[in-house]
Amino acid sequence: MGTLSREFTKILYQRRTYVGWAGLLAVPLLIVLALDLSSSKPAPGEGPPFFAAIANNGVFVPLAAIGALSFFLFPLVASMAGAFPLAGEAEQGTMKTWMSRPLGRGTILFSKWGVAVLYVVVGMALVGLGGLLAGWLVFGAHPLLTLSGTTIGIAAGLGRIVLANLVILAALLCMVSLALFVSTLTNSSLTAAISAMVVFVVLTILNGFSYFDFMKPYTFTSYNMAFINLFRDPIYWHPIRNALLVYGATVAGLLLVSWLIFRRKDILT
Amino acid sequence: MRSLRLELVKLLHQKRTYLGWIGLALVPVIVIVAGALQKPHRPDPGDPPFVTHVGQSGLLVMLAVLYALASFLLPIVAAMGGASSVASEAEVGTLKTWLTRPVSRTGVLFTKWLTAVLYALAGAALVAVVSLVAGVAAFGLHPLVTLSGTTLGPGHALALIALAYLLVAAGAVCSLTIALLLSTLTDSSLTAATIAIAVFTVLTVLNAFSAFDFMKPYTYSAYRLAFVDLFRSPIYWQPIRRALVDYGVTVGALLLAAWAVFGRKDVLT
Amino acid sequence: MLSTHGLTKRFGKILAVDHLDLTVRRGDVFGFLGPNGAGKTTTIRMIFGLIFPTSGYVEVLDHRVPGQRVAALRHLGGFVEVPAFYPTMSARRNLRLLGSAGGHPTEERIAEVLDTVGLLNRADSKVSGYSHGMKQRLGIANALLGRPEVIILDEPTSGLDPQGMKDVRELVRELGAAGTTVLLSSHLLHEVEQVCNRAVIINRGRTVIEGPVATLRPREEAVKVVTDDQQKAKETASALFGERAVSWDEGNLIVRAGDEGVPELVRRLVAQGIAVRAVVPAIEQGLEDFFLELTQSSDVDSGHGERAAARSAAASSSGGPGG
Repeated sequence: MGTLSREFTKILYQRRTYVGWAGLLAVPLLIVLALDLSSSKPAPGEGPPFFAAIANNGVFVPLAAIGALSFFLFPLVASMAGAFPLAGEAEQGTMKTWMSRPLGRGTILFSKWGVAVLYVVVGMALVGLGGLLAGWLVFGAHPLLTLSGTTIGIAAGLGRIVLANLVILAALLCMVSLALFVSTLTNSSLTAAISAMVVFVVLTILNGFSYFDFMKPYTFTSYNMAFINLFRDPIYWHPIRNALLVYGATVAGLLLVSWLIFRRKDILT
Repeated sequence: MRSLRLELVKLLHQKRTYLGWIGLALVPVIVIVAGALQKPHRPDPGDPPFVTHVGQSGLLVMLAVLYALASFLLPIVAAMGGASSVASEAEVGTLKTWLTRPVSRTGVLFTKWLTAVLYALAGAALVAVVSLVAGVAAFGLHPLVTLSGTTLGPGHALALIALAYLLVAAGAVCSLTIALLLSTLTDSSLTAATIAIAVFTVLTVLNAFSAFDFMKPYTYSAYRLAFVDLFRSPIYWQPIRRALVDYGVTVGALLLAAWAVFGRKDVLT
Repeated sequence: MLSTHGLTKRFGKILAVDHLDLTVRRGDVFGFLGPNGAGKTTTIRMIFGLIFPTSGYVEVLDHRVPGQRVAALRHLGGFVEVPAFYPTMSARRNLRLLGSAGGHPTEERIAEVLDTVGLLNRADSKVSGYSHGMKQRLGIANALLGRPEVIILDEPTSGLDPQGMKDVRELVRELGAAGTTVLLSSHLLHEVEQVCNRAVIINRGRTVIEGPVATLRPREEAVKVVTDDQQKAKETASALFGERAVSWDEGNLIVRAGDEGVPELVRRLVAQGIAVRAVVPAIEQGLEDFFLELTQSSDVDSGHGERAAARSAAASSSGGPGG
């Protein structure tokens, strides 16, 4: 725990931390702005998921925001977050300083993973809360219309939005773990993050082709839209459960391999 | 130019250079394999253009791949190249060594930019060649049907496709130059690349909203699919011309800003 | 050859270099001396045009830096802080690459400088595998490559083993003898003494004292006294020379006795029945004390620095060795 808080302190002193958070926060605000200024609101069902619903109910803003972000920007920021703690430390030259402390390598690795996760969590919270606030102010908060046609109360709606965030968070953990894994192999944070993104893009492309359907259930990128099922009445738990299983297995597998490599790695920087 | 040759030597000695090119080259391979093994199905409205018919001609492979390049891949790789140019030398510590030589800062910056441009062009060319060779080998070379319904001979079509690749590469140079500017402002190549990629992505999203139509003609991302107009009969040159003008102005302004920053920057690393 | 005029650099609230005026003449082996953080590296960065002065300028062979940076750099060689090279390339490749930027190095010359610094047998292995000392030596090789008229070395012996340090100092002496102008920065007074002919001591960005190296030593030599009763010896020495002339340094008794005082001290010690084991010149401690005094006092701005400077000025006017 102590190690984790030390890692978190380290990132709080870096400018790039705030740049990333600010960028994420800008998205829901831009969405609200765009829809508010737009002369023609999209018809129901038109446009990206939940966008059309925003005009009538500001509570949908956080959903629309994380939906839009989860395609690309969230994975990008998650890769960045996963690449920096380990490779960025090597680049700064403080790796050898940090590793001369009496800490196990496993502890160090997991605390770096932990701080990356925390970074993403804070980012998501900013998007969610910022979006909710902006949406509420501009469009008002009303009971939610689910995809099945029924209506649920605001409190229940907010609860489901939190759950949706958690599901997407689990997906992003895969990106964080992937970037962290690559950064045990290379000393360049740029290489680690870009490699993770390339894998993400390649898997996403593969998901688009029916021939690769056999892989589909096992690749974490195919469950991008699973969170939508939370907004059916009743909730379709099945796809969400599958998604979480795959996410969990991916993250566990990547962390295991990362740990195996990191424990035996020569720290030369 | 001798200084260009030197920068190219530096570029070719970095692992990430090859990672980027390999990542790009994977795309046509995946598309071809999937296209070859795909069961014929009715085109989805959600499918990107050319994808369902990929198996019919090697030329269509080139176009399907180009679509992916234009939408996100080439800007990512180009941003990586642009970000590495200055920031990774600062990270390794060789920037101060290089600037101790009697070389002007203007020359250094411009040569680095040019090197990154060549990197992006080489990447695009690599993808084009791999798509062509493997695509033709897999599916044969057939006349191309344009969007207007007319048919083009393979030779003619190839020439247009080459132009299309160049146009997309020109668009990617905008992302590259943003990343270059950012890498003169920060010493972290990953931060520079991430912000450049994020800017492209966000602009792409904003382009979809009518509220931001006022900016649309000025943002380089709005022209990313302009190459499609080459495949009409007669060719719609106007959007392409506008795209090139926009790219020119964008890159020119960004280079000027980068020059101003780099020329007066204290090199402390 | 090289001079700075009112060179000043401010980083936010910190004044790193304060109106520094230096002059390095042709053929000098010039020592640039000061404690860590004095502003030596910042000054060198400004000479190379890596950072921009807040005010003032540098002049290298009639070319001003920053204005005519590129022209000035044609006559300059050297490095600032730890020399950094391209890790995936070998030393030879690095030199070829760097030398080609604004110059025309031949393969023979590359091999020659690598041999001079003793890296020829490792010339083709990747720099990422080099030790600190090897990178240091490669930095010197890089400085020598184009045969520049002025060479600037930023703490070139730091991180080297004793043999390495000897080699570098010998090399610098040879360069001076061959007519190359050298600016050597260091925080070791005795190193500057051995190698340079002129020096400046700076502290907190300002010049404390400048002149021929010989004038930088205190005229009064210090001696290390080893007896069987150190406490009594200390009292005796204090009684003879005053409290301030006697000090403990890392367990050794140091007495600033001066030439004439030593025989008298020995006589008194013997008279008291103290067994005298050794009375040897304590060159290092004496110099370090002097250096500390100079620099600490230029912090506190009291009379000590002036007294120390006056002592050495008196020494030079009475005709110290070398002059």
